[in-house]
Amino acid sequence: MNESMILLAILAVPLVAGALSFAARKRQAMEAINLGGFGVVFVLAIALVAAVLRRGSVSALNGFLYADSLSALVVLLTALVALICSVYAVGYFRDDERNNVFEEDLLGDVTISKLRKYYALTPLFVFSMMLVALADNLGVMWVAVEATTLTSVFLVTFYGRATSLEAAWKYAIIGGVGLSMALLGTILTYYSARHVLGSETSGLNWSVLVTHAWQFDKTTMKLAFILILLGYGTKAGIAPMHTWKPDAYSEAPVPAAAILSSATLNCALYGLVRFYILASRCLEPSYPGALLMLFGVLSMGISVPFVLIQRNFRRLLAYHTIDHAGIMVTALGVGGPLGALGLTLHMTFHTVAKSLLFLCAGTVYQHFRTDLFRKIKSGVIRLLPFAGAVFLMATLAIVGTPPFSLFQSEFVILQAAFAAGHYTYAVLFVLFGVAIFAGAVIHVGGLVLGPADPGPAARLYPWRDSAVFVSAAILVVMGFWLPGPVFELIRNAAGIVSGGS
Amino acid sequence: MFWQDPQFGNKLITLMAALVLVLQILMVAQRWLVTNIRAFGLQSFLLGSIAVTIAYFNHAPQIYIVAALTLVFKAVVLPIVLERLVTKIGIRQEIEPLVNVPISVIVSGLLTLLAYVVAESFRESAEATGPASLGHNTLAVALSLFLIGFFMMVNRRKALTQVLGFLCLENGLFLAAISLTYGMPLLVELGIFFDLLVAVMVLGILVYRIRETFDSMDVSKLSRLRG
Repeated sequence: MNESMILLAILAVPLVAGALSFAARKRQAMEAINLGGFGVVFVLAIALVAAVLRRGSVSALNGFLYADSLSALVVLLTALVALICSVYAVGYFRDDERNNVFEEDLLGDVTISKLRKYYALTPLFVFSMMLVALADNLGVMWVAVEATTLTSVFLVTFYGRATSLEAAWKYAIIGGVGLSMALLGTILTYYSARHVLGSETSGLNWSVLVTHAWQFDKTTMKLAFILILLGYGTKAGIAPMHTWKPDAYSEAPVPAAAILSSATLNCALYGLVRFYILASRCLEPSYPGALLMLFGVLSMGISVPFVLIQRNFRRLLAYHTIDHAGIMVTALGVGGPLGALGLTLHMTFHTVAKSLLFLCAGTVYQHFRTDLFRKIKSGVIRLLPFAGAVFLMATLAIVGTPPFSLFQSEFVILQAAFAAGHYTYAVLFVLFGVAIFAGAVIHVGGLVLGPADPGPAARLYPWRDSAVFVSAAILVVMGFWLPGPVFELIRNAAGIVSGGS
Repeated sequence: MFWQDPQFGNKLITLMAALVLVLQILMVAQRWLVTNIRAFGLQSFLLGSIAVTIAYFNHAPQIYIVAALTLVFKAVVLPIVLERLVTKIGIRQEIEPLVNVPISVIVSGLLTLLAYVVAESFRESAEATGPASLGHNTLAVALSLFLIGFFMMVNRRKALTQVLGFLCLENGLFLAAISLTYGMPLLVELGIFFDLLVAVMVLGILVYRIRETFDSMDVSKLSRLRG
């Protein structure tokens, strides 16, 4: 199979899987289609990584699709999360069905049509995320980012509760308005490049734009970057445009929330990074850098009080994601080879850890039928030894406790910030990091440890536990050892961000 | 012949852009939902006509396709769909903005002023580099639509009227793309159009479900999720 076929197949397989799930009549068939489809996508993603490492970049359809190390990294992470979540989803929805959760729906959807909604929309959702990473044309990339919102709105309304409608409305409207700013930014970028590149279709292709970026009209590019930052920042949940995030994440079914909080966040940041590269070549890197650091540290700061006083553990994880979006945006703003490496490392580690956290939280939620700390009180580990233990471990990992890998990436970012002389931001970074650490560990520690009410005995959940196990194993191993090719991919991606290669 | 004279084209576009802006302010000022939807349809029709004019005078055939799509979908199909939705969910016709009408109009006026100031900074660089200045004077109108659409969304409580504000905002983007760059590449324009249609469908379904569930479309009642 040659390289351009891989690109096409990565997009085609989820589309076909979505269509087949839509047509399927039985639950088992839909589960098998999703598992098989995402399995194939994951293998293809590995093949793409291999091809990109070999060739530097791969393109297809006359340059319509384009993949370099940065896109390959995003594709790989998306494929990994999608596969793990599809395994988890099987157990998750069977559990829901056993407990008659679907009958609480206000709109009276029957079980099979609900399952069809999930199993048909998720592949489409993954398709649009893959298109974000693989489209060379920045306009097409925008279309794909908007498509990630549109395909996931009905995942947020999945349970049909009044609160899920509220969450979906906020998600769709705030997301839509935010992205319209990103579209205006894209139009202005196209305009600022027009006198250099003319009005051909390739005039919006990133791989073409990047080689001419220094000639663009600077005033226009400045305005364009601000709009892009606000637009894709909304999609990434950067403060102050983050308000949709806790609602959407806590209302969506857990496997969908896990994808939203990790893979979709990566896609939004990916869009931002592509424009950052253009803006830093057209202007000085310090112009986009200063804006990014401001919004990044603001996001970290805003999430602190909400993490500290949080009553609901899925919302806690959502505010945590806002914090991490802030960390990654700050890393991008610090820039330079070190900042960029911190960004790509953190993106990789965060994707694994955050999706794992959501899956553990999902198991706890399904066992106790609530996501409030107050109602569960304590001692989850006694009733759910496996999920509880992993929940605690993943929490320690994500707040940056050594030896877990997120400590390394946050340390790299901090090192870069000090080296570049951004002392105020670096100090705030540490301060907010410590506060988040305290908040998350106290909350989740209190939830998992301690005495337990005598409750129903724990069972093993084959589908959910195996997904959690694989994800946890990856997280632990990554703390000590990254496979050579993966590290090379991360380093090359960082090279693209900082403009070194 | 006067229809081949770019000066004439320029005047025609300016006239239509002015009408577009008037319609936008009208939408802010008047109270009835159905009139609002029709004003949106008329505005989209004018935008489509501007696109046709630019395509004709600049000999840019790819714009015709986008213009045709705008005329069919935004000017005809979307207004019909929205009006059906209004009758189907049987809401009260009045819009009830948060800020009263006179102040809303003043705010819109100020936003238009802001748009003109921003657009002015593009004018200089445009004359230095652009192949023809045809349609550049509409950038200010485009930015006004964008800002006023934004204001409409913030200023209105009913879910459906927020969707209308969103559509106006999108109209502003369309005009900006046409006037700055004579349209994005065709493929991108088609993609944007497709997204817009799906978005209206998705939002329409949500509006319908919110109405069913809450027995109201007042989005300020959507406030159970906090903290």
